[in-house]
This record gives sequence, structure tokens and C-alpha cells, in this order.
Amino acid sequence: MRPRALVVGLAAALLFAGCSAGASEAPPDLLKVVTDAGKLRVSTDPQYPPQSELKPDGSYEGFDIDVANAIAEGLGVEIEFSTPSWDTITAGSWGGRWDLSVGSMTITVPREEVLVFSSAYYFTPAQMAASTASGITTIDGLAGETICVGEATTYLDWLNGTLDVVSETPMTDPPEGAEAVTQTTDRLCAENWKAGRTDWAGWLSSSSTVQDAIDDGLPLVAVGDPVYTEPLAAAADKGGPDPTALIARVTEIIDGMHGDGSLSALSEEWFGVDLTMTAGG
Amino acid sequence: MSGGTPYGGRQATLEALKIDQPAAIVGQVAAARARGRFRFRLVFAATWAILIGGLVFSLAAAGRIDSAFLGVWAPYILGGIPITIFVSIFSIAFAIVLATLGALGRISRHPVIYAVASLYVSLVRGTPLIAQILFVYLALPQLIPASSDVPVIWLGIFALAFNYGAYMTEIFRAGIEAIPRGQLEAAQALAMRDRLIMRRIVLPQAVRIVIPAIGNEFIAMIKDSALVSIITVQELLWRAQRVGQSNFRTLETLLLAALVYWMLTLVFSIVQARLETRMAESDVRL
Repeated sequence: MRPRALVVGLAAALLFAGCSAGASEAPPDLLKVVTDAGKLRVSTDPQYPPQSELKPDGSYEGFDIDVANAIAEGLGVEIEFSTPSWDTITAGSWGGRWDLSVGSMTITVPREEVLVFSSAYYFTPAQMAASTASGITTIDGLAGETICVGEATTYLDWLNGTLDVVSETPMTDPPEGAEAVTQTTDRLCAENWKAGRTDWAGWLSSSSTVQDAIDDGLPLVAVGDPVYTEPLAAAADKGGPDPTALIARVTEIIDGMHGDGSLSALSEEWFGVDLTMTAGG
Repeated sequence: MSGGTPYGGRQATLEALKIDQPAAIVGQVAAARARGRFRFRLVFAATWAILIGGLVFSLAAAGRIDSAFLGVWAPYILGGIPITIFVSIFSIAFAIVLATLGALGRISRHPVIYAVASLYVSLVRGTPLIAQILFVYLALPQLIPASSDVPVIWLGIFALAFNYGAYMTEIFRAGIEAIPRGQLEAAQALAMRDRLIMRRIVLPQAVRIVIPAIGNEFIAMIKDSALVSIITVQELLWRAQRVGQSNFRTLETLLLAALVYWMLTLVFSIVQARLETRMAESDVRL
């Protein structure tokens, strides 16, 4: 008798605990959470130099890392990095595991449904590339070909014709009939060519990533002018505590960094060019 | 008098076979068997050396391994080994606890307990492990907000333990049911209560049966621990992937990770073999 009563009682207790936990109050404000904890938890994806990469001692370095450090300094708190996968970050519903994403995320309309963006801290051109094996040298030459992109990136959206970037930037049309194929991260597309495979003819990624691959001697060439330029910003989750105040503070800090030239200096340091000014025309 | 064999008895047989000291034959046979085992192991080791040497040589000859890169990054990547071992050990420990409870539930006569245990086994074996790991990371905080404060490594350990516990439940149940029914009946005849029978008679013998299976599961767990890399635990595979992908050198880093997993598996396989020999001591014919 007793064991059965125990099991039933335990099950009932778990059910009630579950219900009441679901109905509990969410903390009112993300900025308050951060300042109370004295710590800003930032997400980063350390397989994307020069924005973010690992050092041999296990710490992170890169343009995004430096910007995140500056934001934490501006807020007067410590910083802590965590490394979820890119598609988890862009999907929202972070479960309160980190507070802010400083990961060169493009401001798009679909993403704005689940995330709140700060003002753009820099702009990056999207560069098309083709393998030397394919012999393609113009963007039109990629018509009807397979083009590889990273998962959950704006490059995929652009190829599918569904890119809805918030700010007005000039955009060319994707090559006719080009088919998109994804890898978990942009660089794997190029590594496919390095391995001697020819599963796709084209690769679309940020200009700095493409240049990195060329500098590393991978068998590819940049093709044509950048097809569009995208604004990149910090983001916070709408699904957690209210992020409006935090994003407002972050925007203030970023605008301050634009004004005093520190963002341009960082951009020069990591990219060799100043990408923080809006693309002209 | 000579013995009853047709060929003149025991004495005549020994003379015919030219055996001087009958008692010495035991030693001679044992020595011959030891020589045979040694020769077998020698050829085994030589074959492995040739095969592995051939593999290493062909990889090196292809000239695509950047060893300088590995030299810089190996300490960081290998730093993930303690985390991998930590995750594996704690996962298997919790899985053993869950499996014991599950097995007892699966042989229970109480319908509620039996139903809960059966649901656990069916549900967890019926969904992919990777989906379960993602579930505790992404979906659980939406159901239980407090779970987002739990460090991800414990979430990963919980998901692995929960999954392996379901599989091991069936192994433990088989171990318990393998105890001959006659022993249970004898114990009942002696007026032992069910719980006492379980504790003093059944479980100690069942442990001996399931230990090889646990060893197998632990070895599998070492590799499955790599799956927690998808929820940001920075163990061996996570480090190898990140370092490799950022630098277009996934061949080198993944080879290193594969080698380490293999070494870990070898070590624990040897431990398991020793354990099995120890467990089977009572079966050796003297």
C-alpha cells in the first residue's frame, strides 16, 4: 500500500510543481537582470575569424569580441561569453541562458519578430565566390549552378529571394536558377573545395570570410562586386525579460563608439578597412 | 594389478607414450598452452602494428596534414578530454541508478509502477538522443524556467543518463530475470520477504551478469558524450570542430579527436576485460 501511495503522491507533486513554475513571474527587465548580476552574458560563435575565433589558450578574440567588451564596459559590468550554435541564436527563445548577442547579425524583418536589435555597428558586403575548378568568373556564370551558404544566414535568404533587410541597401538579384545548399557554417563550404570535392560551384559569404579563404590558398576566386551590404547589430531575445531598456543602452554605447571613432579603429584593426560607415548610395 | 584398459593398463600406456613422470604432464601441457597464447598475442600485436603503421604512413604521405598547426592547437583540443571523461562517468553513474529503478519497475506487480517504467523505456528509446539533448536545452526552460540556471554540462549529463538508463533498464531486467526461479522459491520457503530476496539474493547475482553490459554501455557513452557539444559544452569534439572549422583544417583536428576517442575506448576496453575475468573467476575449471 505505502509504495503505491508514495508513487502517486510523487507524481501529483511533480505535476503541481510544473504548473506553478509555468505560471511564475518573469523578471521585469533585462537591463536590471544584467546590472543586478554585475555580468553581461554574450553569445558568440568562435568559428568566424576575424569576428570571433578561439585562441590556443581557450579564450576568444575578434572584432565582435572587442565590441562586446566595450559594451560591457559601457554598462559597467563584467562579461561572460557562451557559445551556442548560430541557428539557436537567430531563432530567439534563448531560455535566459545569455543576455545579448554580439555576433554580426543582420537586421532582418523575420528576425525582428523574435529579437530586438540595437543600431548597426558595422556593415559588411556579401561576396560571391566560385571554385577555380568550375572556371566561373562572373556572377551571371553562376546561373543554374549550386551555391553553398551557411545555415540560417542572410546569404541563404538572398539566394532564395526572401531576404528582407531592414535598412534600404542596394541589392542585386540572385543568379537565375541558382540553387542554394547549406552547411552548418560558411567556412565548411570552402573546405569542401579544399578537400578536392566539387559538390557546388559557388559560395556566398561575407567579404572578409571570402578574402580569408583566398589568403589561405584555397582554390577559389572572388566573383563580381559585392551583391549587397548588410547592417549588423547586437540583438536581445524578446522571449525573455523585457530587453527594451538594455537595447536602448547598448544603442547609446554603439552610437557613442561611432562618434568617437573607436569603432572605426577596431574595424581597421580587424578587417583592414573601415566597415562601420553606411555603404554609399 | 594393471587397470582395465584394453591395451595393457595404465603402466603400459605411459610406457608406450614415453611419459616418465605422470605428474609432470600437467606442467608440460600448461607450458605448451602458454607458448601458444604468447605466439598468438605476438602475431596479433605485429599485425596491428603493420596495419596502423600503414594507415599513418599513407596519411602522412598524402601530405595534407599540417602538423605545425596541430602542435599549436593540440593542448587546447586535448584539454577537452577531462570534460569528456567527466561527462561519461557521471552519465553512466546516473544511468545505472535510473536503470536499476526502471528494471525494478518493469518487473513490478503494481500496475502504476509498471506503467510508469514501461512508458519511460518506450518513450526514451523511441526518440533520438540528439533530440532529447536539444529538448533539455531549448524546450525545458519553456516548461520549467528554473532549468535555464542549470549549467549546461549537467543538462547534458542528465539527458545522456536519461537516455542510457532506458536502454540499460532492459539489460538489468534481463539480468534479474536470469536468476533461476528455484532460488526465489527456496527463499520464499524460508519466509524471506520480497524486498529482502531482491537485496540479498537476486541483485548481487544480477550485478555479475550485467557488469559486462555496463562496460559496453560506458564505452559507447564515451563517444555519445560528444553529442553534448551541440549544447555548448566545450568538450573534446566541440574544441576540435571549432578550431578546425575556423582555420580550414578540420581534417587535422577531427583526426586528432578520433584518435583520442579510440585511445580512451582501448583503455576502458582493457579495464572491462580485466573486470570480466575477475567476475568469471568462479567459473574457471581448476
